[in-house]
Amino acid sequence: MKFTRLAEKFEKLTGQHEQGSAIKPDKLDKLRQLLGDKKSRYQKKLDATDDSGKRKKLERRLRVVRAQLDKLERLARS
Amino acid sequence: MLKKTLLPTILLILGYGFWISPNFKEIAAGVAIFLFGMLFLEDGFKAFTGGVLEKLLQKTTDKTWKSLLFGVVSTSIMQSSSLVSVITISFISAGLVTLVAGIGIIFGANIGTTTGAWLVAAFGLKVKISAYAMPMLVFGIVLSFQKSKYLKGAGAVLAGLGFLFLGIHYMKEGFETFKDSFDLASLAVGGYPGLFLFAAIGAAATVVMQSSHATLVLILTALAASQITYENGLALAIGANVGTTITAIIGALSANIQGKRLAGAHLIFNVVTGVVAIAFIHQFVWAVDIVSESVGIADDNYTMKLAVFHTLFNLTGVLLMVPLIQRLADFLVTSLPEKAQDLAQPLYLSEAAIEFPETVLKSLKMEVWHLFDSAFEIMAHGINLHRSQILESTDLEKTIAEDREVHEFDLDELYESKVKVLYGAIVEFISHSQAQMPSEFSEEMFRLRKAAGEIVECVKHIKHLRKNATTYMLSTNEHIRDEYNQLRYQIAMILREIYRLREDVDFDHAMALLEMDELKAEIQSAHADLDGRVTSVLRDNRITPAMATSLLNDFNYVDETSRHLLDTAQALLISHSDLVAEAALEVVLDEEEIEKATVS
Repeated sequence: MKFTRLAEKFEKLTGQHEQGSAIKPDKLDKLRQLLGDKKSRYQKKLDATDDSGKRKKLERRLRVVRAQLDKLERLARS
Repeated sequence: MLKKTLLPTILLILGYGFWISPNFKEIAAGVAIFLFGMLFLEDGFKAFTGGVLEKLLQKTTDKTWKSLLFGVVSTSIMQSSSLVSVITISFISAGLVTLVAGIGIIFGANIGTTTGAWLVAAFGLKVKISAYAMPMLVFGIVLSFQKSKYLKGAGAVLAGLGFLFLGIHYMKEGFETFKDSFDLASLAVGGYPGLFLFAAIGAAATVVMQSSHATLVLILTALAASQITYENGLALAIGANVGTTITAIIGALSANIQGKRLAGAHLIFNVVTGVVAIAFIHQFVWAVDIVSESVGIADDNYTMKLAVFHTLFNLTGVLLMVPLIQRLADFLVTSLPEKAQDLAQPLYLSEAAIEFPETVLKSLKMEVWHLFDSAFEIMAHGINLHRSQILESTDLEKTIAEDREVHEFDLDELYESKVKVLYGAIVEFISHSQAQMPSEFSEEMFRLRKAAGEIVECVKHIKHLRKNATTYMLSTNEHIRDEYNQLRYQIAMILREIYRLREDVDFDHAMALLEMDELKAEIQSAHADLDGRVTSVLRDNRITPAMATSLLNDFNYVDETSRHLLDTAQALLISHSDLVAEAALEVVLDEEEIEKATVS
């Protein structure tokens, strides 16, 4: 393989890699919005129930969603 | 109806036969021991698959002339073409040689067996193989107790041969009384009808005595006593050749379809050779005279001439049939088709798609879902639930608590036929297409491959769980029963959730992916709860320590299965072209983060 061709391939490859690893901010915004909606949905359900079993389950789910939102913010900052 | 009554009828007939005839009992026991030997032999050879014997057999049978030579040499050494054919049947059943190579060996064995005629002619020698049975059995069993796989295999082969010899011995003993009833002189008939009749007698005598050598001795005695004509003697020898195939046919009863095909090839070869020899008997007599004269055999030395004839007609048969080996193999494959096994076949993998990366990923994903579907069925039955109960019941926990039906099925067999086959096809497809895939596709491909592996692991874990889950779901101890029902519920709930997300056409891939984290947190929480409950019920003696140990062990299987299922779903629910889902993949929590979210 000629050197120029090799260089071209390398450039293409690294370009693709960089492109692949970068998460576009608009996609993160969309995800933030979806997770936010979910969080409010769970919160509403939690406020509406007195069943301890259901509350425990919803609280756990809420904690997971919050952890995901935190991770998303960390990702957006980096 | 027929199927239900067949076995009792056979048992009754056998029982009646044993009662009225001790000889019949001996013959039947001989056949049973012989078949038992075949099973041992096959098992023994299987130990060598992938090893030295396989390589040796492949090298010595990869060309027709080599397999012919293998048959000639091995039969000359063992002095029994029947034995070589049954061993070849076990080779073929263990997948050590191909059908064509097996047929070559059988053809060679027919030439090799003629050395016996020469030995009988020269020395009146009859190798008594049954004398070896006892030492072979003893050595074989001693070796089969060893730890080494190869020693165990060698032991099984030796014991198998020992049982074969012993079986043949009992069959011979049983038939001994019938031997004296052959009054050949009374059956003398001229012309071709006589030839066919004597060929049939020769075949029957060999079946009865289980040795063509013994039949040859009988022929020579009859010839010496002028009980039969020379030509009738030749016909008897032809029949003896056909009669030897019965041993292979009995051997094939316990063999797989390849073994049965080989026994068929043996029968066809010997019958065709026999018919040709009878049809051209005068030409053969002439040829025998020419050969005998040229090597200095006296005109009335029928013993030697019979050996010449035996060699000539078997050689003719081989020369006639060798060019037709492949056709014969094809004919046998068509006429003895493999029983259609309920094997799962890949539905979406096509070599034609390899050139198109998008299609490769799409078909691969669909195939992994297909694998998931097959595994779903096994997992559902593994925890004694119907697929419909998991997917449709309104209150899954209640359904599990109330349903105590044990699902009887062979999990190993289903794993082999439905999961392993598909997994193998997926791995093979990936290895073929990987080189053609652009780098941006390789990550998803890797994920799908990992997912397929995780599905396989899930089925294996369910296999381990099944035993105790079945025992304890029927237990009268409600505490252990409830705990195991909880384990069943956890698996069923996750399967149900995955299918719900999959069936939901409007679902958002990214959110589905993240929802798996919530399920993982539930598992984590269930684990912590279980630990607490087990300590409590054990302290109060509500379950035994053995039950507690089983429960904790099995919970680990459930835990692993649940994680694998969720990871699989995460891999299957996203696509590299869905950029929001790709972003969600970065947000998915790791094990530590989930643990933190569960306990805080």
